[in-house]
Amino acid sequence: MIKKKITILNSAGLHARPSAALVKLASKFKADFYIHSLGYRVNGKSILGVMTLAAEQGAKLELELDGPDEKEAMKAITNLVQGKFGAEDE
Amino acid sequence: MQDIKVEEIIVQGLPTGRGMAIGEVFLLDIKQKTIAPKSIKASSINTHKKKFLEAKVRFLNDLDKMGRELNDPGSAEIIDTQRQIIKDPEIEKSAFEIIEHKLLSVDFAVYQTLCQFIERLKESGSELFRQRIVDLEDIRDRFISIIQNNQSTRPVKKGSIIITSEISPTDLVSFYENGIAGLVMDKGGVTSHAAIIAQSLGIPCVVSTKKAVKEAANCKNVIVDGSTGQVFFNPAKERINEYRKKLSELNKVIKKASNDDDVFETLDGFPFRLMANIEFEAELPKVKEFGAQGVGLLRTESLLFGKRLKKSTEEQVAFYSNIIETIEGPLTIRLFDVGGDKVSVHPIKEANPFLGWRGIRMLLDEKELLRNQLRAILKVAGHFPGKIKFLVPMISVLEEVHEIREEIESMQSQLLSEGEKIDENIPLGLMVEVPSVALSAFQFAKEVDFFSMGTNDLTQYTMAADRGNEHICELFQHHHPSVLRMIKLTVEGADKADIEVCACGELAGEEIGAACLLGLGVRELSMTPHSIPKIKDLLSSRTKKDFENFVSKAIEASTSKEVEQIFNTWKND
Repeated sequence: MIKKKITILNSAGLHARPSAALVKLASKFKADFYIHSLGYRVNGKSILGVMTLAAEQGAKLELELDGPDEKEAMKAITNLVQGKFGAEDE
Repeated sequence: MQDIKVEEIIVQGLPTGRGMAIGEVFLLDIKQKTIAPKSIKASSINTHKKKFLEAKVRFLNDLDKMGRELNDPGSAEIIDTQRQIIKDPEIEKSAFEIIEHKLLSVDFAVYQTLCQFIERLKESGSELFRQRIVDLEDIRDRFISIIQNNQSTRPVKKGSIIITSEISPTDLVSFYENGIAGLVMDKGGVTSHAAIIAQSLGIPCVVSTKKAVKEAANCKNVIVDGSTGQVFFNPAKERINEYRKKLSELNKVIKKASNDDDVFETLDGFPFRLMANIEFEAELPKVKEFGAQGVGLLRTESLLFGKRLKKSTEEQVAFYSNIIETIEGPLTIRLFDVGGDKVSVHPIKEANPFLGWRGIRMLLDEKELLRNQLRAILKVAGHFPGKIKFLVPMISVLEEVHEIREEIESMQSQLLSEGEKIDENIPLGLMVEVPSVALSAFQFAKEVDFFSMGTNDLTQYTMAADRGNEHICELFQHHHPSVLRMIKLTVEGADKADIEVCACGELAGEEIGAACLLGLGVRELSMTPHSIPKIKDLLSSRTKKDFENFVSKAIEASTSKEVEQIFNTWKND
């Protein structure tokens, strides 16, 4: 199991579309994926779970991955979040 | 037959024009309030789980179908997010737990599961995320309605009549393409967006019925009368016969009018033009069928549906080209008139959207949006010189006219330098809908090539009555003498400056309004295509002098009622 702390950078935060992108990406990997934030722990492959974190810009999250491909998964997910979910900021 | 024993229920709403239909009820009731918990036996756990899985598949299929119909990237993204939510493993897990351990029915399981997520979002206290609650509620209600209607066929049957609290224009068009015969809407006024589109597509429509959705619950058949505003659920046999007769007479009248020779002049030879108001390519066949002489108002807001404020120039060029190639006669394109009643694409929240940032006011701030549109229109105009006109919405001061003219000129020179063809004399017109323009009509007329009176908004701003608000839509009176005086002032100003003036609001498409407009000397009326035969009949059956006499009396009246009485006396003369 590996863990990593990251910050949400895009202006809209983890709202519907970025959540969808995150869940879609995470679901491609075998590793279990959980997100910790403010004492909550949600399933990172559940869009509703991710959305209900209501993580806005600047929110600090801890990612937890556990499984055979956890390293690749962590890299891909970190890239997505740090790349602001590939969205142009409107 | 059992149906005959069921009592007829009459619901009164507001009529939106002519047309009537008999058909099956198609209840589009997506707003469920609460679902009560229902216990199930342990032996039916699997049945309920299976129901959940079936509903999920059906929901996903529905979304796929919608995705194919709304084939633009903006909608695709929204639909994709909805798919993700429905596929969320946590929903299935929680719903199965409720079914299996609490022994409660599947619809309640889905209801409670989604309510839990909604509650959590509410607790988050984040304004941005609160907006998502509406989306989740929508998904919850649709999911449940799919579960509950599992037996009935979801796709709408040809010839059925939609009963709903409200409907988006996009959904309405897609239902139209599936062959619906009528629309009954509990909310909205006569000039709400959906009602206007319904008229344009020739769908008989009654709005503001308030309780049709409730009454429709156990009804199979319904008659909708768009001319009286009546809706009959479980119509009695005599009622059905009465309406079958009316329908066949109405069809004869329409056939006759659209087959008439193309005489567009009054009895004494004063020529007039009848044009069509349209918004969607799906309406083009109606333009031809009802004999319009061109498109007097092309609304372009549908290009923005799905929050795609950055609609590309190429897509717009394709849209405008298709329209100008299909119709005969000229085409007046109105620049994006976003705001007010089209809140879904409105990027900011305003206390008074109808008095706020809309039409030209928004366009001059959103230069990229404006320039993309100008570029697309000017490019198409270059290929069809003399056929396309610009119409600018929501002008209230002259500075806006100057600014938009500069924008057009600079775009023209840019296109020229790129080697594109242009139409140097493309006419620029403004919508007369704000009283400040009507009152100073001459000063505005000197600066533009034509006026188009948007009588809906002109009425709304003169009467200070929001046209979409069902509580006060009685105050929205287009026949009010004050509105007629606004029109008279506008026509006088246009005449003095020697520019053309036409009318493109709903007033142009109904008898009293058309009679007033022609009497005041307006030669071009643009309306929903469906109204053309009726208006052509009226205008060609009298002399110009006749209409002048009528309007000179009408304009001296004190109330809308009086105007209507004067018209009725005049018509039966």
